[in-house]
Amino acid sequence: MSLSSSTMKQHKSNISRRDFFKAGTFIVGGIAVTSVFTPFNGILFASEAPKGKGKWYGIGIDISKCIGCGKCANACKLENNVPQEPFYFRSWVEQYTIKNDGSILVESPNGGIDGFMQSVPDEEIFKSFFVPKMCNHCAKSPCVQVCPVGATFETDDGIVLVDETYCIGCRYCVQACPYGCRYIHPEKGTVDKCSLCIHRLEKGLQPACFEICPTEARILGDLNDPDSNINSFLKNHTCMVVKPHLNTGSKLFYNALSPEVR
Amino acid sequence: MENHLQDLHEVLSKVQGYVYPNEIELNWSILIVLYPYITGLVAGAFILASLERIFKLHILKPTYGLALLTALSFMLVATMPLVSHLGKPLRAYEIMVTPHLSSAMAIFGFVYLWYLMVVLLLEIWFDYRRDMVIWANETKGIKRFLYKALSLWTTDISPKAVALDKKLGYIVTVIGVPSAFLLHGYVGFIFGSIKANPWWSTVLMPVIFLFSAIVSGIALVMLIYILLSKIRKQKIDMACLDLIARYLFYILLIDFVLEGLDQIHRIYEAEESFEVLHMLVFGKLFYTMFILQGLLGTIVPLLTLGTFQFVQPKEKIRKAVYLVTSALILIGVFFMRWNVVIGGQLFSKSFYGYTSFKIGMIGTEGYLMAAVWIIVPFIILSFLLWLLPPWKKKDEDADIQEV
Amino acid sequence: MPQQIKRLISAFAIVILLFLVMQQVLKPSSFGVSGHYRFLAIQENKLKELQYAGSESCIKCHEDIHIEKSDGYHAQLKCEVCHGPALRHVMYADKFENEELPDSLKLNKPDERKDCAVCHRINAARIKITFDTIDNSMIKQVDPMKHNLVHKKTKVELKCIECHYPHQP
Repeated sequence: MSLSSSTMKQHKSNISRRDFFKAGTFIVGGIAVTSVFTPFNGILFASEAPKGKGKWYGIGIDISKCIGCGKCANACKLENNVPQEPFYFRSWVEQYTIKNDGSILVESPNGGIDGFMQSVPDEEIFKSFFVPKMCNHCAKSPCVQVCPVGATFETDDGIVLVDETYCIGCRYCVQACPYGCRYIHPEKGTVDKCSLCIHRLEKGLQPACFEICPTEARILGDLNDPDSNINSFLKNHTCMVVKPHLNTGSKLFYNALSPEVR
Repeated sequence: MENHLQDLHEVLSKVQGYVYPNEIELNWSILIVLYPYITGLVAGAFILASLERIFKLHILKPTYGLALLTALSFMLVATMPLVSHLGKPLRAYEIMVTPHLSSAMAIFGFVYLWYLMVVLLLEIWFDYRRDMVIWANETKGIKRFLYKALSLWTTDISPKAVALDKKLGYIVTVIGVPSAFLLHGYVGFIFGSIKANPWWSTVLMPVIFLFSAIVSGIALVMLIYILLSKIRKQKIDMACLDLIARYLFYILLIDFVLEGLDQIHRIYEAEESFEVLHMLVFGKLFYTMFILQGLLGTIVPLLTLGTFQFVQPKEKIRKAVYLVTSALILIGVFFMRWNVVIGGQLFSKSFYGYTSFKIGMIGTEGYLMAAVWIIVPFIILSFLLWLLPPWKKKDEDADIQEV
Repeated sequence: MPQQIKRLISAFAIVILLFLVMQQVLKPSSFGVSGHYRFLAIQENKLKELQYAGSESCIKCHEDIHIEKSDGYHAQLKCEVCHGPALRHVMYADKFENEELPDSLKLNKPDERKDCAVCHRINAARIKITFDTIDNSMIKQVDPMKHNLVHKKTKVELKCIECHYPHQP
């Protein structure tokens, strides 16, 4: 406010200025008081906030140990009556080959069940490795989110299951899974996916693919238990999930995962 | 089953690059292309009808009733492609019994019901109630019963009651427009909310779906109006048709800009999925996207309808061009849906390869099934036109379209 | 209230009522007990039939092989890796103590070259793989189509297992 202004105006502006300070003190004080009682709580979790107190399954796969025998994919099909045709898999193995020219070749003949033939001559290969794939049992599962009827869900111990007597076969979850881990069972007409062999866990056995892995590349454990094998696996290796940017809360952690893997 | 597996083996031999093994089979086929297409026709036809009602564009009167009945006949089958493609169609009721509130598809059931029951049926009911009461007295037998039942055995057609009908009908229309937007925006959301699929996952998807829906609905009513006038040997109201064509042009232009914006945004941001989508668009989707959707379905109609905004050729030529253009737009929007639904499944979510599309002639996922759900709405429409002919409505207003 | 409003409200009331009744009747009993799903579905999933018995079960009868295997390269391989799912075998085999097992209970004895090649075929992705249990030993890799295809003297075709006893390769 300039000095040449009329007294009237001066007066008015003074009042309003005083009011302003009053109000300002009130607001600032208010904020200060509230913040004492409820401090800003900015905790972010590395992957997902722990849920519950019971078991909370997490999976570890050590890519550097996988020899690409495909026994896991085969065992999965036999254990869970997955159709033998090469279009239906709960678990499969991919071979990534990065050539010297930078091009990437990914193969998974019959999901790796019949083994892998090296299709690129040694001298052209920059590096090559196997990646076993299976359901990530995401904590924020896109598939569970989109199921219209609640026929796919997450159990309290973190296993994503399908209720095949309730699934309507709309295939929305198949579209929503970023990892391609779901298929429609050709005879049942309902969706099918990895159940983490919950019927085996129930009896104290490992899931079929974990049981069968000849190099013990797979680890299953309780993420809620700080001393569990999965937690020490996560501590001692540099682990990564596939497609972290999608924020699916994936609980399948890979050691030695290359950025080419999608 | 055997054929299906044979087809899959054939597709497997055509896979380029790498796709996850479960991705070889396309899960959403032509029926899911039809589902947003038909829903879009409903929303579009309804919005055309609302233009007349809300903005009092009486020039559009000749198509008002037709547009409403078209919307209703397509609405009645809108969910059928979805239901008939289910692996377990008999379990479809579960969507209503235990709807999962975080699922776009489950909420669609309620959006659909809201739109069908509260908006479309109510609006048509208020619009026809007086006529149904009158017709019930003029007819006999089953038709008389139908009119009585449909008017819920009401008899009051005093001027006061009819005025109330009009007022309530107007309110329903006002609610109806955002509902139509919601209905079709929601269908877009079903695709746009799938973050796993970069071809679908864009915030523009509901808006694009909405505008292409309006475009297709208007084009459909235009086409039906021209054909129906030919069949009934009635003179086409050219003022009405020209105005429809003008709105069609504007909305098609908006639609074109939106879809262009979406593509430019994708190209400029060039995210992780850019290469795989780029090759998809110029490879497997080239004909359906650039020729059918882009050139025939958008550019040609834009040019012809756009020219008519400045130069008005003879009536005969305009009629012919409107007929062809509306058919082209309908084809174009169908292939827009095709490019979204089928295109979104042709590339692998690993971004390393492409699968192929093969459609069986018969079976629940085949052309025949799709043809059924395209033809049935027209049968329903013929029935509705027989039962509730908009041209026989006895309107008190003087500006009635005399036929 | 005007006639048509009355009729409409009753029509809608009937429809909504029928809908709510239908919802209650058709809703599965265990739905929503723990979340938006049928709680019994967890039990149903748990009741699925098993195929793989787990390595502990094999040792009970075949301890000799377990001991034989325990200091070889295949020590950490579980029996079912090569012999396939064995639960039925484990459950019913002891009923045939002195008789020959029926074919349905017999397990695979894979002896073809391709069976070994699944793990031992040369592959660039296998080169750097080492085992925890056996220090720094790389998985042995050969070209199954070349490696000693025939006997050097007799020229008879050879199977892998004729030179490499799988339990002690």
